[in-house]
Amino acid sequence: MKHESTDQTKWYCDKCQRELELAKVKVKYMEGNFEVDLMKCPSCNQVFIDETLALGKMKEVEEGLEDK
Amino acid sequence: MNLDKLLETGDRCIHKEPPTCTAQCPVHLEIIDFLAEVEKSNFQNAYKLMEKKMPFHKIIGRICDHPCEAVCERNKAGGSIRISELEKAVLEYGTYKPKKVWPLPKNKGKVAIIGGGLSGLTAAVDLDKKGYTITIYEKSDRLGGRLWDFVDKGLTEALLQEEIKTVKDKKMAIQLEKPIDEVRLEALLTEYDAVYLGTATWESPLKWNSSTFQVEASTLFVGGQLVTKTESIIASASSGRRAAISIERYLSKVSLTDSREREGVFDTPLHFEISKHVALPPIEKSGEIYNPEEASAEAARCVKCQCRKCIEGCVHLRNFEMSPDAYVRQINHSERIILGTHYANKMINSCAECGLCKEECFLDISMNDIIHETRESMVERGKMPASAHDFALKDMAFSNSSRFSLVRKQPSKEESKDLFYYPLISFSDYVKGLYKGTGKTEYLFYPGCQLPASYPDDIKSIYEYLVGHIKGDVGIYLGCCGAPADWAGQQALMNENVEAIKKVWEEMERPTFILACSSCIRIFKKYLPEIAIASLWDIYVEKGLPNKDHIKTPQTLSIHDACGTRENSDLHESVRKIVAKLGYGIEELEYTKDRTKCCGYGGLVYYANRDQSNAFVNERIGESENDLLVYCAMCKDLFVSGGKRTYHLLDLLYPKDDGEAATRKMPTLSERHHNRSRVKQILLKEIWREEPEETMREDQFKLIIPDDVKQKIEDRYILMEDIQAVLQNAEENNERFCNPETGEYLARLRRDNVTFWVKYEKEENAFILKSVYSHRMEIVEE
Ligand code: SF4
Ligand code: SF4
Ligand code: SF4
Ligand SMILES: [Zn+2]
Repeated sequence: MKHESTDQTKWYCDKCQRELELAKVKVKYMEGNFEVDLMKCPSCNQVFIDETLALGKMKEVEEGLEDK
Repeated sequence: MNLDKLLETGDRCIHKEPPTCTAQCPVHLEIIDFLAEVEKSNFQNAYKLMEKKMPFHKIIGRICDHPCEAVCERNKAGGSIRISELEKAVLEYGTYKPKKVWPLPKNKGKVAIIGGGLSGLTAAVDLDKKGYTITIYEKSDRLGGRLWDFVDKGLTEALLQEEIKTVKDKKMAIQLEKPIDEVRLEALLTEYDAVYLGTATWESPLKWNSSTFQVEASTLFVGGQLVTKTESIIASASSGRRAAISIERYLSKVSLTDSREREGVFDTPLHFEISKHVALPPIEKSGEIYNPEEASAEAARCVKCQCRKCIEGCVHLRNFEMSPDAYVRQINHSERIILGTHYANKMINSCAECGLCKEECFLDISMNDIIHETRESMVERGKMPASAHDFALKDMAFSNSSRFSLVRKQPSKEESKDLFYYPLISFSDYVKGLYKGTGKTEYLFYPGCQLPASYPDDIKSIYEYLVGHIKGDVGIYLGCCGAPADWAGQQALMNENVEAIKKVWEEMERPTFILACSSCIRIFKKYLPEIAIASLWDIYVEKGLPNKDHIKTPQTLSIHDACGTRENSDLHESVRKIVAKLGYGIEELEYTKDRTKCCGYGGLVYYANRDQSNAFVNERIGESENDLLVYCAMCKDLFVSGGKRTYHLLDLLYPKDDGEAATRKMPTLSERHHNRSRVKQILLKEIWREEPEETMREDQFKLIIPDDVKQKIEDRYILMEDIQAVLQNAEENNERFCNPETGEYLARLRRDNVTFWVKYEKEENAFILKSVYSHRMEIVEE
């Protein structure tokens, strides 16, 4: 579920005023537990998920796991 | 879930049963497929179907006595399909050179065939193909028997010779001029592993089994006219083929009788109603045989007899291209797999649980019950996708929370004293009703959750009407009956809900519930049969309509009955009486009353599969040009969103001057919550004159929402309170991303099992929403 947003470079963390970095992030759903590369704030760990990712690939994986 | 019972039900469905024509065809030509190919002018494909089922198809196709035609259903609507004429045409236009088949090694045993007529040749060729060593004994000097009688009567001599040559070309021994008598037969029976007797007559009486053609327990098998006792060509051929099957089974030492019920002619269990089809006469031939165009036109008259009653009524079954028998197999598969993907989940959650299928099926097969039981089983096994029903179940929880739920007895005489002295009000029915109050709650008005969400301003009026018109105290009970839990297959939650309702009922000393929502009625009948119920609409009929001057423009309406009312014919009549009393004309829809269709909300399909829900909406609103009249809030909501002018009965009973009732957009998901809370507030303040403990939740942030974002909010089942919560967290804790180039913020908040995202811009003291979305997957921020 690797994802690089089209406009992610422009976003930064408002809390920490830091630029986002690509990092391994743990995601969980139902019995599924895996790691994916996502953009996140290196200091407060907020992970950036844009609309295309949430409604595209992520939804697909959710549905796949729900039907297992 | 009892899967054996499930499969049994699936097997009862006659959808896949053959039509009468095929059942009466002794070799079971697949006539529907055959005619479909002819209709499309695919003569070669049609030819292959003949080749597959008919022994010596080039001969039989020209001289068959076609028992199929006598039973063709088309006969009741214009005349039987000329199947045998079409076979002739196909032999003319679809013949192709057969592929060379390599003979099997002849090592399976020796079989003698007595009689070289059609049945004998059929048995010989079939057994030869399977690897038996064959010897044919024919008393005359040529093969073919009575087929020679057909020369110049359907067959040419050249064709017959050619077909006989194909037999001779095989590796069989052919002994001509070898008559067999009883003595010779005895010898053959010892010499060969099995003997087939296909002579038209035999010197002494024989006793054979009518389905295996075996003579007693011997190695002798019979066929042909000796057995069929008719002139029928196709019956002879069929008997030869069936005897060959018996010989093969006998020599392979497998059961001779297993699953042979449908060999030869049989009665199909299929029921087919031709009455809906207009009569069409057969196409005349312009020449000796049909030309290709005529053949195709004649084949097109076939109505493809098949039971599709339930499928025709149900856009769910049609969307998934499922017949009940196939559906059952899919469920069976889905229930059995442990690892791997449950592909049927989406389908199972796309049924509206409307019950039309059972109503349409003369065998009472209910996909509704089967699918419902499957959902319960999925929930039990933890296999129900959470996303399918989550929103609806949360909505139900909302309605049963203190934000909506309320139970009150009728305001007592004591509490209402002040009203009785006030001259004007004391004339109102309502106050008169209060004056007669006894303190014993005879009735409990239970409007359900969707009616207050859609018609918040009418609940108080209805309550006042009831107090004013019904003998005995009327209390009120706000909450959700549990229909979402039922539809979602959540038995535990459903039982909890039922117990909660029962408790109120007991505490109130078992009053009769007055119900206004068709789903509530269905749920009460199913789960709470001990509670007496009355329908609000029945009460209007009995006690008179609430207002005097309703009629605006008299017009003709088509009534859409909610699918939950299917079995409630009294209710159907009450609604019609009210509509007529109000001065409207009624034109019934094709699917109405006990045969009504679902609006697209039932079974929670609205949440589980929006495309499927839309298909229900569109099919239903396309049924009539008239404005529709409904009496369920969700029906109204969906039809109006689909662009259909639709009145709810309350629009007519309590008319409002705020625009066209038939096109009024129904409240959004968030407004529905808000409206329910408002109903509780209004009732508490204005009927019980109490100060509500809980105040309405006010929005914290002022939002500007463009139309496209509004639509997204609805389509993605996001509530304004979710959005407000995301913004609050973002603003208070700065937990958000920011894009300096566009000045936009993007913030997230996990609430319960969903993460909500809001993209926004700030403008003075308002927030302009740019987008909203959500996901269920949890991101571990560490
Ligand atoms: S209408 Fe077609 S399918 Fe039906 S019996 Fe006649 S030929 Fe067979
Ligand atoms: S219950 Fe309704 S939606 Fe479901 S299969 Fe039957 S007719 Fe179709
Ligand atoms: S109505 Fe439907 S379920 Fe009933 S026999 Fe026909 S195809 Fe099968
Ligand atoms: Zn940060």
